[in-house]
Amino acid sequence: MSPTFEFEGRQIPIEPGDTIASALHRAGVRTFNRSIKHHRRRGLYCVTGDCPNCSLNVDGEPGVRSCVTPAVEGVRVKRETGFPSAERDLLSATDRAHPLMPVGFYSKMFIKPSFAWPVAEKVISRATGVGRLPEHRVPRRKPARHLHCDLLVVGGGVAGLSAAIAAAQGGERVILCDEGAPGEKLPPGPTLERVRALADELRAMPGAQVFERHTAVGIYEGPLVPVVGEEALLRIHPERVIVATGAVEAHSVFRGNDVPGVFLGRGAARLAGRHRVLPGMRAVVAASTPEGLEHLETLRSAGVEIAVVAIPDDMADRVPSGVPVVRGGRVAAVEGGKTVRAATVTSPTGTERFECDTVVLSLELTPRDALLRMGYGLPVSGAGDSVWPGCTLDEAAESGRLAAAGTPVEPRAAEGIAVARHGYVCLCEDVSIGDLEQAWDEGWRSSEILKRYTTATMGPCQGAMCSRILASFVTAKAGPGPAGTRTTARPPARTHRLEDLAAGIHEVIDKRTALHDRHIEMGARMDWSGSWKRPFHYGDAAEEYRAVRERVSVMDVGTLGKFLVAGRDATTLLDRVFPCRVEGLEPGRSRYLVALDEAGYVMDDGMICALEGSRYYLTSTSGGADRMEMWLRNWTDRWDLHVHVVNQTTMLGAINVAGPRARDLLSALSDDAIDRETLPHMTHAEITVAGVPCRAIRVGFVGELSYELHHPRSRSVELWDALLTTGVAFDIRPHGLDALEILRMEKGHFYLGQDTLPDDHPAKLGLGWAVAMDKPTFVGKVALERMADIPIERRFIGLMFEGAAPTRGVPLYDGDHIVGRVTSCGWSGALSRAIGLGWMRAPDGVFATDLRAGETRATVTTPPFYDPEGARLRA
Amino acid sequence: MALRIPCPHCGLREYTEFTFGGELRDLESPDPEQDFVRVYLRENDAGPQRERWFHTFGCRRWLTLTRDTVTNEVTP
Repeated sequence: MSPTFEFEGRQIPIEPGDTIASALHRAGVRTFNRSIKHHRRRGLYCVTGDCPNCSLNVDGEPGVRSCVTPAVEGVRVKRETGFPSAERDLLSATDRAHPLMPVGFYSKMFIKPSFAWPVAEKVISRATGVGRLPEHRVPRRKPARHLHCDLLVVGGGVAGLSAAIAAAQGGERVILCDEGAPGEKLPPGPTLERVRALADELRAMPGAQVFERHTAVGIYEGPLVPVVGEEALLRIHPERVIVATGAVEAHSVFRGNDVPGVFLGRGAARLAGRHRVLPGMRAVVAASTPEGLEHLETLRSAGVEIAVVAIPDDMADRVPSGVPVVRGGRVAAVEGGKTVRAATVTSPTGTERFECDTVVLSLELTPRDALLRMGYGLPVSGAGDSVWPGCTLDEAAESGRLAAAGTPVEPRAAEGIAVARHGYVCLCEDVSIGDLEQAWDEGWRSSEILKRYTTATMGPCQGAMCSRILASFVTAKAGPGPAGTRTTARPPARTHRLEDLAAGIHEVIDKRTALHDRHIEMGARMDWSGSWKRPFHYGDAAEEYRAVRERVSVMDVGTLGKFLVAGRDATTLLDRVFPCRVEGLEPGRSRYLVALDEAGYVMDDGMICALEGSRYYLTSTSGGADRMEMWLRNWTDRWDLHVHVVNQTTMLGAINVAGPRARDLLSALSDDAIDRETLPHMTHAEITVAGVPCRAIRVGFVGELSYELHHPRSRSVELWDALLTTGVAFDIRPHGLDALEILRMEKGHFYLGQDTLPDDHPAKLGLGWAVAMDKPTFVGKVALERMADIPIERRFIGLMFEGAAPTRGVPLYDGDHIVGRVTSCGWSGALSRAIGLGWMRAPDGVFATDLRAGETRATVTTPPFYDPEGARLRA
Repeated sequence: MALRIPCPHCGLREYTEFTFGGELRDLESPDPEQDFVRVYLRENDAGPQRERWFHTFGCRRWLTLTRDTVTNEVTP
């Protein structure tokens, strides 16, 4: 028994080599889809992955091109357009109601009354569309890779392979990608052999890489070409690109040109030749290319009865004898509903109707050039059929070599297509010639404007099938000129899953301190804090809080920005960059540092520690480290100073030892003097703790006696372990960011960016004391002077709540007016009540004191809440 | 439109290694009104402009160059 897959409850047998489409066609399925607007039946047409007609839902995934998707046993396939089904679609009434749904429908209808639009929108969005997103689907996470090369060739046919080989012979690094595999679409014959030989030659060349089943998404500035593969998204950065994506048989327009049973020649031949399934029993063939005659032969030998061949006069003699021929004939109309019933062929000698179930069109080639039509202004050239449609194999090879050599391959202008009076121009978007005529009459008179108004060429194929027809339509009306140029294509040139385009976005590298593994061993909940992973708590944040306030605790603050600033002009640099006074800061002393931007707004904060010999050690916030380095280097460069800025952020670890027993703990581990007189608040010293050399900085974000121990990263674990081991005697425990949040809130310390706004200058944050306005100059000083006269109407405030803390971020109301916002809040153990930080406005200069945060009453205070004199900090 | 930046320390490198630092501006302007213009307003020229770039994934130095904002042509 042959394998099967499921199609709407039926089991469809799979023959070797089948695609989903070929198996369905063999099983008698003719309607694959309903068109997007008019719900017309659509069946297999191109069978090369170019047109939208065969899109099906496969295993829950919408929009799968079934004609190029191998049939796999057990998959579940269904159609998803049409209501209640694609086979019996009640909405096909919209086709007969065509005059009621004119082009520009959305722009015209429901504008008035406006209240009708929300309802209408729901109805329309149900009635249109080409598929439904799966409700539950875990996207596959694919990686993204960056590749660099001299030349990227898209398309592995004769032209593309020849171009790649020529460039590789010239010593260039070449990447060639093909959405399939070189030659796989070709029937056995000399062309296939030539492609195989070229592909083998290229694969053997050093410096050349071939990616099969890799589809170029588009060409972006750079140039950057994202290429979707099964395993990864490749972001290819070539010096230049050659597009050799071939051509597709031209779509042609006549009444009934979209009825199931109308095929492009390659599609019919592919079904009959490769898949051994007859496209139909009796066919009308229209051929005007040598390839068309091959397709005729393929169909005949497969057993398709040929009703007639419509062919140019000069090719008629090449049709095998016995096959009826209409010289100079063309298909003028097709009749049919579910499938083709008959075709009308006109010729100079008259018009004749032929009963048939299949119409095969092999009229000319149209370049598959969406990538070329989006690469304007970039180093992109075409080769082969995509610029010279219908060229010979030798010409294709020649064009590839020319393009590789950098010689522009001038496109051979494809002749205009005779535009009929009926029929569908754009299959993706369901735009007919009548729609274009109507839009033209309404005054939309160039191809780009018609595209926007009618949506023709806007669909998934990006005009691969129809942009020439649209251009020809305009040129026929307006004459040659810019109005009738072909429309620009937009990425993606093919249909892709969003998960493929999103490849790599999950590849975020977290920064880790040296103590990362220790935290995990201690049961910490690690989470993102900026670009770092940091411990939020070790199981009991309330107990961690008590350890800091009552005993002693440690926190990993290795994420802080850490900088050594040295050199002849170090003092000058810091004095000119920062608003605090640096000159005269004695070695061993520290100062709070606020960094202003040129607009006078607070950018970052940290500490500045004066070392011996005009050297300084700076800290910044964890998130501001990179910016701080750029800031210091920028001014060093622009002022032409002699300063070394060494970013030590990842070279050094830092552990904050905080709590009333902090000194007792360190004394047990260090012989150095760390008493209150030798090492008071806002000083620092080089000491040795448990054998580890440390720079101990007396500073306290949490408001208790604390020592920040900055030390070589390689010694972090050793130091951490020693502190925790010796700390057992003091009932030590580490604290995470959750405990820190309330600890710093009690002290009224803001988090930059969380509690502050981008236009907070120091005075708004109560930091006027940190700015030495009497210094001759510093970055932002002129701006502060300019703003000095502007009354401060927004302030950083403390809040005390009645009852539980509100949700962070809620607005603050004064009566009915929103006057501010709660930016931090939580339960204070020290105050036994909910507290918070935030900001409020008072345009009239009067700051209210009784506010409402949502439903919670809030009293405005001036932080800090805890130990306002700082006695514990200075202990 | 390919954008490569000639770094005096690292050679010709892809622009993605750099952080854009904006138009080159005057260092300072003592007059508060002029300083407002200096800090807030940009020329936004279509054509060559002097720019600052920071080689983030390289030498971590700043450089000043001229880039044509229309063609991305870069001259030191």
